[in-house]
Amino acid sequence: MKREITLRVNNKDEVIVIDDADTLLEVLRDRLKLWSVRESCGVGACGSCTVLLDGRPASSCFLLAARTTGHDIVTLEGLGDGAELHYIQEAFVSQRALQCAYCTPGFILSVKALLDETPEPSDEEIREYLAGNLCRCAGYADILRAVRVAQDKKKSLAFKE
Amino acid sequence: MTIRSFDLLQPRSLAEAITLLVQHGEDARAIGGGTTLIILMKQRALQYRYLVDLQSIPGLNQISKEPEGVRIGALATHRSVELSPVIREALPVVAEAFSRVGNVRVRQTASVGGNLAHADYRLDPPPALLILGAEISAMGPNGARKIPLKDFFRGMYETALEPGELLVDVKIPSMPAKSKAVYLRYSAMSANDWPCLGVAAMVTRENGRCKELRLALGGVAATPVLVNGLTFVKDQLLDEDVMQQILAVVDEQISPFSDLRGSEWYKRQMTQVFIRRAIAQLDSQLIEG
Repeated sequence: MKREITLRVNNKDEVIVIDDADTLLEVLRDRLKLWSVRESCGVGACGSCTVLLDGRPASSCFLLAARTTGHDIVTLEGLGDGAELHYIQEAFVSQRALQCAYCTPGFILSVKALLDETPEPSDEEIREYLAGNLCRCAGYADILRAVRVAQDKKKSLAFKE
Repeated sequence: MTIRSFDLLQPRSLAEAITLLVQHGEDARAIGGGTTLIILMKQRALQYRYLVDLQSIPGLNQISKEPEGVRIGALATHRSVELSPVIREALPVVAEAFSRVGNVRVRQTASVGGNLAHADYRLDPPPALLILGAEISAMGPNGARKIPLKDFFRGMYETALEPGELLVDVKIPSMPAKSKAVYLRYSAMSANDWPCLGVAAMVTRENGRCKELRLALGGVAATPVLVNGLTFVKDQLLDEDVMQQILAVVDEQISPFSDLRGSEWYKRQMTQVFIRRAIAQLDSQLIEG
């Protein structure tokens, strides 16, 4: 069935006509042209299609777009203002925590959710939280370092406020 | 779109949902969190003309403390169970079992009722819920009924739910006094993979001896297995002799099959290893505590 829905994406209301069978991933990429949301495994295991749903990480590949109305959806495009990089993005760049970068948007959103939930995570908590994001270039050590750099930056920003 | 088109029906009450399911029969399926159903529909392993959305019914995701236990609504997410202060305090083994499913994104979305109704033989929560004597409340065209979880799983991906019947909540009794419980999961492949097997164990002690032992297993038969016939451990010390008897009883009640997570022989061996670990861990906690 076709229906018109309003999706709250990156702080903006998007009114679109979708099919009930459309996944959130399909709508974000094909309709809203948010290319940071990427399909890889298609079964919620790899984290490439991660978005934040009310601040929590979700796999957009197994969510029906029709069931995500009324929630706050954030993709990587919604993190910065477009001119400057978000501090988690900066941390990934400075620690060279990416190679092909296919997995990076998903990782960055997961790190954001992790640090919002647990501002001072243990190594074990970081590993557990990010275990569902796969990097096949295997940059894991660099990614873990980037989390620590982002954590410090977040703390200093909070201190300034 | 990769899923064949369907109509998403969004009832506002359980009664309305049941009416829709009865009306559309095999053309309709209830959808909770959808983590499994959507994937299977994308793969075209399943196809429906109608999905009945249970998320649109208010109040089904509550976790509440009761005089003799905890009640978890069918639409509560795995993550909410894992993080619930009520469950972490009263039933830490339940929080542990739910925290081991998939990854954080899956747990954020997947529902407790969906997990149980899907009845995958490898899932982590059923063994932990079985040793605690959990009971399901279901509602269908013929009204409400209670189903003990041990009678709920009927076969691979098959449950006792009748057509049009919905799982409403699961009630978990409190832990008995002087008891400890643990859930151990063994992954033969990656940490986020389905487990090769899972073992839930609960030991109750009295006067320095075992009063009761409960064991349940996932991944080693077509359904989760609650082990019967363990009453002989009453008033025993859990020493090597008794352990051998326990392992023999368990070995008779499981029927693992060979797959890429291990051969039948391997799963039988690992079952023994993990039962020994679980019991040793509980025994030492009870002696210390």
